[in-house]
Amino acid sequence: MRLPRFFAKKRGDRRTGAEVWGSIGDGLFHAMLLLAGIAFAALLITGVAVPEWRTHHHFLEARGTVVGKGLARRAVPGQMISTWQPCIRLRYSTAVGLQEAWALLDSPVSDRLMAVAALESTTLGSEVACWHDPADPRVVILERGYNWWMWAMTLLLPGSLLAFGGAGVARTIATWGKSEERQAAAGFLDSNRGEEPTTAARPGVPPCDDLVNSPGTILAFQLPVESGESWTLLGFGLFALLWNAVLIVLAVNAGLDLLGGQIDWLLMGILVPFLVVGIAGIVIFIRSLILATAVGTTQVEISAHPLLPGGQYEVLLGQGGSGSFTSLEMVVELEEQATFRQGTDTRTERVVVWRAPLGSWQGLQLAPGTRFEGRAVFHVPAIAMHSFASEHNAVTWRVVIRGRPTRWPAFTRAFPVLIYPLPPPSGERLLNGGMP
Amino acid sequence: MTAIEPLRGFPSVTVQFCAPDRRYEPLQPINIRYQIDLPAGSTVRAIERSILWYTEGKGEEDLGIHIFERITEPTALTAATAAGGFTALLPRSPLSYEGLIVKIRWCVRVRLFFAGGRDFVSEHVFDLGRVPAALSRPIASSP
Amino acid sequence: MTLPTASRHIANPFASRHVRPGGLRPLTAEAELRDVPALVAKIRVAGGSAAIEGPHGTGKSTLLVAVAAELASAGRLAGTLQLRSVGDCLPALRLAWQAEPGSTICFDGWEQLGRVGSLAVRFLARLRGCDLVVTSHRSAGLPLSISMAGSFRLLRAIVAALPDHGGLIQDEDLTAAFARHGGNLRESLSDLYDRFEERARQPLRS
Repeated sequence: MRLPRFFAKKRGDRRTGAEVWGSIGDGLFHAMLLLAGIAFAALLITGVAVPEWRTHHHFLEARGTVVGKGLARRAVPGQMISTWQPCIRLRYSTAVGLQEAWALLDSPVSDRLMAVAALESTTLGSEVACWHDPADPRVVILERGYNWWMWAMTLLLPGSLLAFGGAGVARTIATWGKSEERQAAAGFLDSNRGEEPTTAARPGVPPCDDLVNSPGTILAFQLPVESGESWTLLGFGLFALLWNAVLIVLAVNAGLDLLGGQIDWLLMGILVPFLVVGIAGIVIFIRSLILATAVGTTQVEISAHPLLPGGQYEVLLGQGGSGSFTSLEMVVELEEQATFRQGTDTRTERVVVWRAPLGSWQGLQLAPGTRFEGRAVFHVPAIAMHSFASEHNAVTWRVVIRGRPTRWPAFTRAFPVLIYPLPPPSGERLLNGGMP
Repeated sequence: MTAIEPLRGFPSVTVQFCAPDRRYEPLQPINIRYQIDLPAGSTVRAIERSILWYTEGKGEEDLGIHIFERITEPTALTAATAAGGFTALLPRSPLSYEGLIVKIRWCVRVRLFFAGGRDFVSEHVFDLGRVPAALSRPIASSP
Repeated sequence: MTLPTASRHIANPFASRHVRPGGLRPLTAEAELRDVPALVAKIRVAGGSAAIEGPHGTGKSTLLVAVAAELASAGRLAGTLQLRSVGDCLPALRLAWQAEPGSTICFDGWEQLGRVGSLAVRFLARLRGCDLVVTSHRSAGLPLSISMAGSFRLLRAIVAALPDHGGLIQDEDLTAAFARHGGNLRESLSDLYDRFEERARQPLRS
């Protein structure tokens, strides 16, 4: 989150401002969270983890004889109810001689009859395995095991507090009273001072790892598709699945009530709109699926990647599916993206600032199982702007395929390409002409 | 020489670039000389000198530091506050870009920190590369 | 031909760095400069808490930033926070917790906290003895309500306060933008940004 710089007054290209005190309170707050995390972790470890560990490593096994049965009653503070916990009295041998003590048989319950029923499974005089604490032979248990969910809580809850608090304290220390240049240069301060940038470094240029890890079948590389069709389809599918799962549960409940001679009008009232939405979700998903499969996949391959200004690259379009196409068009676009805050929303605006056609094909007829292939050459302008990406802004190149099937809606599929900056100048460049 | 009219009570920073048109090529060295005139009675406790790029346009501003130096040692500070300079090798990217909603600008910034907590920043733009401005409507060019 | 640097750069006066909250001085709907110190004094008299209320793009955030600056110069600002969703409850509570008694916290986007969240933050702030100044699209239930409204006169005053557009923007452009966006000043300024860029580039195309 970037706070408005209310201390800055801008005059021409100069800004003056008052240095805001480092956030002492911010650091204190995070320190408190850190301490709370430590305290919570200590409590859980000493109260749960250590006792469980001791039962497994220190407690001694014995054979105990059941000499009594009973219920431990605990009143719930502030309420007129009690909990009941079944217990059995055991007689067992210890290092100091015979010992008798109560052992908890089961978890506490609020229903006394349930607690009594739990005791029915144990017979007086029978022998059971038990473990006692050698440090205090009066402590005896009937079961050993780890409460894994309690261990998860031990890690998760205090872990979150420790992580949040610790990170906050570290961040407060790291950014105390520093200018924005100094904060931005934090990674450069000690490593880059006095060093020359390497010719290989390309700051601001996005990495191309994801764009060059898929080899093409004919040309060197296959470009990944950027369009959100797959995600839209997946989204619709998941929504239809989850929504209708809930709908089925509700419908089954309503049906059971109906069979039992009862009608839950509230449930029936909820079912109707749920049913409408559920059916609509299925219809939309099936329609999207048909569209996606009927039109077929689009692949774009390129002879080299990343590209360089002034370079010349072969581009191959592969279009699957069956049926006829009124037209297929392949263009290359340069698009700018700017993300900004609009009140409490965050918006991204996109503008295509340059477009060049690569190829166009009309009246295509695709037989099932075949693929149309179209080839073109992309001449990257010598003065082209390279690909750029920062946190809120981007300049991106894309190969865009626009198809108009005869029987289905038109589609647009985009394939990002990366253009690197050129090495030091070679030859003349034009200042005007408007070509990026 | 880039001259800035001094305002009452504010420092004045003049900056001279080695390239008269302030246009540089990637991996070219840049040599900056600057001169600072301080208001009477002001005490500088630190100076930061940086070469950086930032974005401008419709999006939130992003910032990338190329060279950064902070001077706090008193002897060096006294000299650096009056006048100074630094040399750096510019990187390959990002190139200066005049887009429609995204612009990339390179600049030299001199930031002075005064006793009492206030700071003053002076910014001087230059160009890296020769990418022409984007036009306001897409152009179809034949391959 | 090598153009001088200033000509090579199309400095759009409607860029985000100029129009974002904090980049402009707050104005009233009548396009008069708001007396922020007087407003802060008025808030103090009313109990210390206030809500800046109004529809989208009417300058609420801009006024909040100015109020925060005034509070800060008086040493009474505990902090500011942009609220985007109910998930910002925790940072809001953190700010309220660390605020010193008698200080003021500024929140932009108060309704994002939801009813429960806003009640919790108000409760904690009251417990800590600090005040709130917030922006909201609807009534926030604070002691003082400052209403904001957009107007064409205000848009014209904002444009006049921005860096020089060199005559590329005319009055009819403002009228059209204001009408097109239903009085939303932020959207109108975004519209003017595009218009300026288009006209500034015309010499490049010819």
